[in-house]
Amino acid sequence: MILRTEGLTKHFGGLTAVNGVNLEVEDGAIYSIIGPNGAGKTTLFNMLTGEIPVSRGEIYFQGRKITGLKPHQIARIRIGRSFQQNRLFKNLTVVENVRLAQHAHEWGHFNIFKDFLSFSGPVEKAWQILEELDITSIAAKRAGELPHGQQRILEIALALATDPVLLLLDEPTSGTSPDDSVRMIRLLRKLGQRLTMVLIEHNMNLVMSISSTITVLYQGETIASGSPAEIEKNERVRKAYLGGHSR
Amino acid sequence: MERKGILETGLGRRAPLLDKETWILAGAVLLLPVVLPYKTLAAEILIYALGAVSFNILLGFTGMLSFGHGALFGVGAYTTGLLLKHLCWHPLAGLLGAAMGGMMTALVMGLLSIQRIGLYFVMLTLAFNQLAFFGAYQWKQLTGGDDGLLNVPRPDLSIMPGLELPIQSSLQFFLFVWVLFIVSMVLIRRVLRSPFGRVLVAIKENPDRAKAVGYNIQRYKLIAFVISGLFTGLAGGLYALFMRMVPITAIELFTSTDFILMSLIGGLGSLYGPIVGAVIVKIASEVLSQIWPRWLLVLGLTFIVFVIFMRGGLWAFLTMIWGRVKPRRGLEVGR
Repeated sequence: MILRTEGLTKHFGGLTAVNGVNLEVEDGAIYSIIGPNGAGKTTLFNMLTGEIPVSRGEIYFQGRKITGLKPHQIARIRIGRSFQQNRLFKNLTVVENVRLAQHAHEWGHFNIFKDFLSFSGPVEKAWQILEELDITSIAAKRAGELPHGQQRILEIALALATDPVLLLLDEPTSGTSPDDSVRMIRLLRKLGQRLTMVLIEHNMNLVMSISSTITVLYQGETIASGSPAEIEKNERVRKAYLGGHSR
Repeated sequence: MERKGILETGLGRRAPLLDKETWILAGAVLLLPVVLPYKTLAAEILIYALGAVSFNILLGFTGMLSFGHGALFGVGAYTTGLLLKHLCWHPLAGLLGAAMGGMMTALVMGLLSIQRIGLYFVMLTLAFNQLAFFGAYQWKQLTGGDDGLLNVPRPDLSIMPGLELPIQSSLQFFLFVWVLFIVSMVLIRRVLRSPFGRVLVAIKENPDRAKAVGYNIQRYKLIAFVISGLFTGLAGGLYALFMRMVPITAIELFTSTDFILMSLIGGLGSLYGPIVGAVIVKIASEVLSQIWPRWLLVLGLTFIVFVIFMRGGLWAFLTMIWGRVKPRRGLEVGR
């Protein structure tokens, strides 16, 4: 078990956005969290990555309690994340984006006396990541000038640059064209061979085709959890998606 | 070594501590006393340019707008003034004191203000500057209050027994400032090109992402503040030597806004923009104040024009023109 949550809960004032969610993510899994808008998926994610504090419950990573760690500490223990809305270093080149993300995990990132290019390790590793994602051709472009589909890939590259064992991806295909979605699915499947992934996704195609386990959130609570086939048949899931308030 | 060539793509080349850029800068500012009507103005411009460049480490490279740099400049000025006046320190030791004073003040101000971001950060630094100003204003025995700290000596530089470099004439003093200015610029450039400096740019570009990839951005912001304080304090110390006194205006909020104005007019995105800004603002205020008592109005209008129409400042404009003349590849550190 690589990631486990126990009764994870988030209150925003009187609103309970996430209520007692238990996740159990096995090593090597591609674990998807789905649910209609407002189900609490992103809130759940933000708790896992330390972006917002947890109201109640615990998070365990590789058996160690990580509840309350800050985002940069989460990154240091090798949990990488991507964002739903692109958060890139827009005026910097693609390779510099990745190099920066990579250098956070290597010696010398606090050095103020040496030129940043004196540290060749992060540069080499940044290039390896660009090669793995097949985006070396855009290395010298500014991140902000890329088309949306490529920016989504760079989002993944930045998460990968933190050298993660667990990758948390927030809607990797959001806003992408059908072609780009296909490319993204292929990429995620490839990454899934060597990494554990937790995805939030709206794209049912993607979810059903690559997930090993799916958890369905509805109004902050888990209403179903299981393999894609089980979820597809589940009556409560159908109702949640189709019926809206039919609880 | 083909791979080496590939690795440089999109990153530019390593810059040695001293290169052509350094010599061009040194040569260009050396022209100031030649082209300006009086040499004292040249020294004053360099002092303010150093302050503005230090200020821009925060605004242009980290994305933090500080209204508190007048306090850092003022503390530096008072530190040097007091050390030389009462303890008869060597000028260089006095300037070292100013740098330390600026650093310590920046540490305190930074610790308080980086707890907040955006407008709240700005207001905290502004409040801090007001606090420092009224502190200096009230503590008359130490600072001279409204009258300023008078009679700060400017002794010759004793390098070793028997060898003294005079810094009395305006040209001699300019050269002294020039040397320290260039040394500071070389160091600041190196800091901004270091792994640390690149993280600052990352914080400016996207603080959430910088956190998410593993940087403790609070710590980076604080150290950026301290480094900025070091050089701003040094500039303040030079100002005390330059004026042979410390006027209360050195620690005023207006000093902060001067740095902001210079940086914006010169250009936030580059290391050298604020220098251009300092040259323009200082010369303009010198010339205009003799012609028209309401000259600040002109500066205000210029400021508005630059903020609305020329976001990259004069430096971006100059590099654009230069780019037309001679296209150049490579990475600009600032952006």
